[in-house]
Amino acid sequence: MIKHRNNLLNVVGWILFVISVVIFSFQMGYLFISAKYQVEYIDNRLFYIINILCILFLTPVILLLVTKKIKVLSISIVVMFITANVFMLVSSNQIVKNITSISPNWKHVLSIKENVENGEAMYYRNYYSILARAKERLPFETTGEFHVKWLANDIAAVTYKTKENTIQQFIGTYGERGSGGSYYYVAAEIHGHWQGENIDVISDTEGITVIKDGKTELFEWNDIQQFGTLAVVLKKNNEAVWTVSLNENFEIHSDASKATVGNISIYEATLEKNEPIILHYSSSN
Amino acid sequence: MKYILLSASSVIILVLMVASIFYYQNQFPASQWPQSDEMRDNQKSPHIDEQTQPQELQATNPDEQISYTLQNDELNITFNQGKDWTTVPVGIEQLFSGEYNGNKQNLIENSYILTENRAAFLYSEGNNWDNQRILLLHSTDQGETWEEQLVTEPFVAMRFRKVEFLNENFGYIIISGGRTMSQESSHVFLTHNGGMSWEETTNSGVTRLISNGGFVDEAIGFLSFGTINPEEPDLYVTLDGGNTWNKATMHIPTEYNLIFVQAETPVKEQDHLSVLVNQGPNGDYKGGKVKGKFISTDHGETWEFQMEVKPND
Repeated sequence: MIKHRNNLLNVVGWILFVISVVIFSFQMGYLFISAKYQVEYIDNRLFYIINILCILFLTPVILLLVTKKIKVLSISIVVMFITANVFMLVSSNQIVKNITSISPNWKHVLSIKENVENGEAMYYRNYYSILARAKERLPFETTGEFHVKWLANDIAAVTYKTKENTIQQFIGTYGERGSGGSYYYVAAEIHGHWQGENIDVISDTEGITVIKDGKTELFEWNDIQQFGTLAVVLKKNNEAVWTVSLNENFEIHSDASKATVGNISIYEATLEKNEPIILHYSSSN
Repeated sequence: MKYILLSASSVIILVLMVASIFYYQNQFPASQWPQSDEMRDNQKSPHIDEQTQPQELQATNPDEQISYTLQNDELNITFNQGKDWTTVPVGIEQLFSGEYNGNKQNLIENSYILTENRAAFLYSEGNNWDNQRILLLHSTDQGETWEEQLVTEPFVAMRFRKVEFLNENFGYIIISGGRTMSQESSHVFLTHNGGMSWEETTNSGVTRLISNGGFVDEAIGFLSFGTINPEEPDLYVTLDGGNTWNKATMHIPTEYNLIFVQAETPVKEQDHLSVLVNQGPNGDYKGGKVKGKFISTDHGETWEFQMEVKPND
């Protein structure tokens, strides 16, 4: 019986040891490629979390191997290690703040890292699941207030406040609505009249007009900024006002004989909690 | 074994601790962001001489004497099967700007000319999709010197694009843009001085999506419309250098109704013109590749069916 138990402990111990060696190797590999290829974890805190995970798998192995006397010392070392890593995790996030958000379908990760000291924020694009590379700098210096909202499984709207006290929106896009590989203009594809709850959107040759609560506002082409091929941000006085995005059921096709298929959404640029409004196609103007 | 495992575990803890401290201290301090992809892209030198090329250039068509490559994010052309390369002073993105469906490994078909006597590239530039400049960059001395000519501005998101020269002086450019669903405007520009200046012809007035077009000489030109689900060829012809456009009449035998639906560009053949009419994107007659050959003896105003043509005829 005791022999059987010992065998089982042996097997479990070996499994745990192998897992921790794999995690350790992964972490060392990461350090190597991050230096060589400028790749980072999608969230810097992952480094410390993976460290802690590795030690948690290793701890039972150590406890199985050492005598009672040394067990206390071992546990102390493990606790110190974990404490140090938790401290670094929290403290590093005050130097470089990570804004990380996972899409509703768990397929995409929005990653922004903000240099707290000077308000510079960098948008990261994940390439290999949890690894990412710096993609582009967010316009304007930020104040650290970020509000992330997924408008679709592949569209993330990031609303943030700048040091000039303006509201800006940055849109992370992770897909498209076309047949693949082609660039198209969102404003042109949504040509026509769209209606939602207490709001109308008209896209025509002049630009995009938003009618809300009887108030009409025209955004001309110079005030419309496209992100990827899924969304446009409508601006007034260099400040974001609305984001218009293509819902997942929106179909890009070039045949006018087919009716416009799908919905679009309009989302207000505000740091207060708000939901995108779904718009339905009403007419071709 | 016990001691080996213990030693290994100790090493793991020790290395991870050192790595953590190293990682923590190397969190990039203020103003030391890593280079973004954008910055990396912008840092490429505008001209890379052959000694310092980061990637050895491989021609797109290695068997051809005259070819090009889009490697290293620039357009290089060769006139001697890749022995020497000349960099074309145009941005890769500009060559694909507008509305383009396809990969960016090869130049867009018909958007360029690359012959012994002429290299020309049609592209657009401008930040706003509805306010683009359409330009032609061309060289007649194998890339020694380049001329950039404005074709038209402002232009909305170029979709179809074609440039062709029939002789040293006469050339044409056909472009379409501003597509909304299946409506767009098509424009034809002609040059009579080797591309130094371009003049727009009268507009055909057709707003269907253009699929092809071209001139057979300085007076006779064609525009072929219908790209998505064409039901019959829609071919327009000019006999006066683009001053007037009229719909050509195509007599399609009943058995080929709804089969041969999309006219390609007519060509001169002895004393008549001929055009191939293909089956469009959804044709499945005899595998979908067979085309109908039509003949015109009145400069393209009326067309009669001549025969079926197999794809490799």
